[in-house]
Amino acid sequence: MTVTATIPLTPASSSPEPSPLWAEVQADARAEGWTAGLDGVELERLFAQTRERAPADADRETLDELLARTAVGWIVEEPDYSKLAARILAGAIAREAASQGVTSFLNSVETLHRLGLGNARALNFARAHAATLEAALDREGDRRFEYFGLRTVFDRYLMRHPKTRRVLETPQHFFMRVAAALAVDPDEAVALYGLFSRLDYLPSSPTLFNAGTHREQLSSCFLLDSPADHLVDIYERYTDVAKLSKFSGGIGLAYHRVRSRGSLIGDTNGHSNGIVPWLKTLDASVAAVNQGGRRKGACCVYLETWHADLPEFLELRDNTGNEYARAHNLNLANWIPDEFMRRVAADEGWSLFDPKTVRHFPDLYGEAFTRAYVEAERAGLAVATLPARELYARMMRTLAQTGNGWMCFKDRCNSTCNQTARPGRTVHLSNLCTEIVEVTSPEETAVCNLGSINLGHHLRPIDGGGTQADWEVDWAKLGRSVTLAVRALDRVIDLNFYPLETAAKSNARWRPVGLGTMGLHDLLLRLGLDFDSPAARELARRVAEHVYFHALRTSCDLARQHGPHPAFPETRAADGQLQFDLWGVEPGEDLPWDTLRRDVASHGLRNSLLVAVAPTATIASIAGCYECIEPAVSNLVKRETLSGEFIQVNRYLIDELRRLGLWDEAMRAALKRDNGSVQGIARVPEALRRRFRTAWELPMRALIDMAAARGPFIDQSQSLNLFVESPDLTRLSAMYFYAWKAGLKTTYYLRSRPASGIAKATVDPANAKPKQRSAEALACSLENPEACEACQ
Amino acid sequence: MTAAPAPAPAPPLPSTADVIARPPRLLDPGTCLTLRPMAYPDFYAQYRQAIRNTWTVEEVDFSTDLRDLAERMGPAERHLIQRLVAFFATGDSIVANNLVLSLYRHLNAPEARMYLSRQLYEEALHVQFYLTLLDTYVPDPDQRHAAFAAVETIPSIRRKAEFCLRWQDTVAAIPRLDGPAHRRQFLLNLICFAACTEGLFFYGAFAYVYFLRSRGLLHGLAAGTNWVFRDESAHMAFAFSVIDVVRDQEPELFDAELEAAVVEMIEEAVACEVAFAEDLLGLGVAGLTVADLRAYLEYCADQRLQRLGMATRYGSTNPLSFMELQDIPELANFFERRVSAYQHGVSGTIDLDADF
Repeated sequence: MTVTATIPLTPASSSPEPSPLWAEVQADARAEGWTAGLDGVELERLFAQTRERAPADADRETLDELLARTAVGWIVEEPDYSKLAARILAGAIAREAASQGVTSFLNSVETLHRLGLGNARALNFARAHAATLEAALDREGDRRFEYFGLRTVFDRYLMRHPKTRRVLETPQHFFMRVAAALAVDPDEAVALYGLFSRLDYLPSSPTLFNAGTHREQLSSCFLLDSPADHLVDIYERYTDVAKLSKFSGGIGLAYHRVRSRGSLIGDTNGHSNGIVPWLKTLDASVAAVNQGGRRKGACCVYLETWHADLPEFLELRDNTGNEYARAHNLNLANWIPDEFMRRVAADEGWSLFDPKTVRHFPDLYGEAFTRAYVEAERAGLAVATLPARELYARMMRTLAQTGNGWMCFKDRCNSTCNQTARPGRTVHLSNLCTEIVEVTSPEETAVCNLGSINLGHHLRPIDGGGTQADWEVDWAKLGRSVTLAVRALDRVIDLNFYPLETAAKSNARWRPVGLGTMGLHDLLLRLGLDFDSPAARELARRVAEHVYFHALRTSCDLARQHGPHPAFPETRAADGQLQFDLWGVEPGEDLPWDTLRRDVASHGLRNSLLVAVAPTATIASIAGCYECIEPAVSNLVKRETLSGEFIQVNRYLIDELRRLGLWDEAMRAALKRDNGSVQGIARVPEALRRRFRTAWELPMRALIDMAAARGPFIDQSQSLNLFVESPDLTRLSAMYFYAWKAGLKTTYYLRSRPASGIAKATVDPANAKPKQRSAEALACSLENPEACEACQ
Repeated sequence: MTAAPAPAPAPPLPSTADVIARPPRLLDPGTCLTLRPMAYPDFYAQYRQAIRNTWTVEEVDFSTDLRDLAERMGPAERHLIQRLVAFFATGDSIVANNLVLSLYRHLNAPEARMYLSRQLYEEALHVQFYLTLLDTYVPDPDQRHAAFAAVETIPSIRRKAEFCLRWQDTVAAIPRLDGPAHRRQFLLNLICFAACTEGLFFYGAFAYVYFLRSRGLLHGLAAGTNWVFRDESAHMAFAFSVIDVVRDQEPELFDAELEAAVVEMIEEAVACEVAFAEDLLGLGVAGLTVADLRAYLEYCADQRLQRLGMATRYGSTNPLSFMELQDIPELANFFERRVSAYQHGVSGTIDLDADF
């Protein structure tokens, strides 16, 4: 007896009459050109599969959703299904918007305004320039999206009706809304829209969410100084954090000034429980604030290495132990003085202090801090002393176990910051993603608004080119993109709604912005470069130099027009020192730096800081490129977001394998079996195996060296993730020490991999066994082809 | 106080070499305590691996699930979830019971028992997770009671439980594995819980969760399930490695009769799970059909048979493309969800000049 025969068909799959809507779907498929240019997709197969799974009473929306989802399921087989799914979704979005009466950009803006969602400035601008803006909308714009990107835009970025939750704009209306909000005139709006629509540059999520709306909070990052060491101030900080979170800001918060456990409380003659209970409260508060329904609040707490509660702080994210001393929603970062790293190197002792007894520490850095620290030790103020290496080992353990406890170097951040030229200015922390380095004080909350250039879109064919080897960086286009981007970022400063008075005050004085890059790995792969090659490092350096140059150039031009930012005379730039001068590095020969220096000297700069490489988690998804400056973490990856799960495959790898006739079922199975790594697939030629190493397979030294090469042209910092498959103290201790010595200001997550995975549900068990080369063997074969003893 | 009776003259004690020379086989009755030399380092490695995968229910964030249930899911999907939660409510407890009543008693190696102790903890953790889930999803106390009663009152769930308990009872009656008949009975119990309960019933249940997750629904359930799935995959792998060892030690146990019994058992398990699918999908869930589920289960069943070194039974291919997603490493967007990929246990010493 077979089981199959006894099972009745479900009503859904036995429905004999296909819905009449199918005729409509097929007509739209033709009219909207779903398959144009997508050679590998089979539309009939898609229709057949979807018909089987559609309930008989499914409406058009359900059918579109099912069609798209089914197509998405085949992306690994044929990546073009991603574009097909995106086109299906684009049609569905347009129909949904039309159902709300939105058929033009002006329609959309008027509807948003009528419903109280859009602001009057946006409405007036759209009305005054309706024809120009409408004519500029790119009919091909939606076709540039991959499914994951468009889905992200649809699920989270498009403005929706407050009650029906239907979209009130199409993706191109959305880009135009943001561009129009940031532009001074219609020409600039059209130019900026073009950048967005071509996915050449995207501003950060808060700007995309809120530009043109009634509450224009457009900044990504806020850096709050430590609360002062008393109750009222601690509670006021919770309110500050909540207010900032509500409008999509990510928060960095220092806690250096709050007394540690055991400290005497004068008013009550009791003893303090230290900072952990306060952070526990912060944890709950952060989780409670929902950023406009789009994502949860997020906050990173910074603590200086001398604070006596540091050992407890490092355990806040552990998933074992006392739950009352855990804060699973907070991110944690170390704010480390050089003196600590020197003592780690010399294997000396390290003293911990109660902030109540060393109130001057947080505002000192460099030599002044070291002097004060040694004096405090001599005065016997330390609460405890332990070997520096013991504490360093605890930091490494926290990184290995939680990925958190980011290593940020206080003295380096301060000595290379444009804002710290005058005494009394101190950088007390970085931000949620460790790329922002700005001064704070109890009166000043630092703010930064961000955007990122999509580097892979800044290539041009060399004459007669066509194959990959014949591309080169389009430096002129890069310069133009930077100029437009910096103008838009600068405009945000004036438009922005500031949830806190201290933020408004700080931003008016310093006017910092953070222009970053994304898709570096796309750029390198399109040029056929190995991520760890000297050529890649030099290119990354040059890209950073060009971005910094054009950003300064634009800021200087803006200063000529509107005057420098009020605090310009207090900056290192005013003293003639640019970022690379602070690193003691000479710039390259491409660019007229001397002219720029003279112009800065005569006109000043409109912005105290210009460049910061942010992680670009979401906007890289929209643009369909690899994140910021990061190597691909896998050639086959699952993205989980609020929109559901999606597979992404490394298209460059597939293109190469197709060219060689190797992209077949066996290759796909092997790639899945090996979790997206090609290192164990003998059929892949050696050179490609090298080029398509993932973040786990590249030497971390190369990532750090590349970051250090880029550093002299990044006046803020970079969100540098490091990847170690199975971290151990030895490797980590050497790696982070190297990062400090290389002069990096900050580092970000330590990424490691699950100790074991899920049994492959869809990989043939016969094929599932022979793999799993150990991380050591892999590292040895890739990094030390000659020096490996095990292989000789 | 009376003096203790004088001990009988003891037989000469065995030497260490004697003990090493006569290690018991895995299914020989007894309470072996020897860890050096270690007879099954692989079991010990699996134990340590499991420790590195520690997670806690508190880390799972259910905050968006309730809104999904209320606003983004229709009656058909809510019915599916209701049934699924009812199954989860008791499923892991049944597995935990069998660990104690059968596996721990009869696998005579301390390192295997270490693994089972760890597995027992994990099953309790899963029970806690699904209990928390139930309390979160089902606010009404009467409905909560009904969910736990489902193992008796809902036919599709009851049938699965009865299937498991039947295979449990056959071993519960055996105090010692003396002789091949008892040992085969034990192997069938082991295979039932690994290949059928964990390998089909749980795998089936995970498929619904992943189907919903692929549509961006119920992140809390999916996050916890992801960890449960990882644990269950490891449990299954351990059970199969036990079978490999036994096959190595006592190949004669694996005869045609045993094989026929396994096939029959797996057929019954597939039938139970397909009936469960008919119940779950009874109201018509867009994008998922019973036919899909059946093919997927048959495909899983074939994989279990293959792993047991037996011929496949169905020849089905997996139609659930979203299950492919589960095979692919995740790149969680940290703004949105906690990365479920972390590990425990960090070794080594500080060495600033080490290679990295």
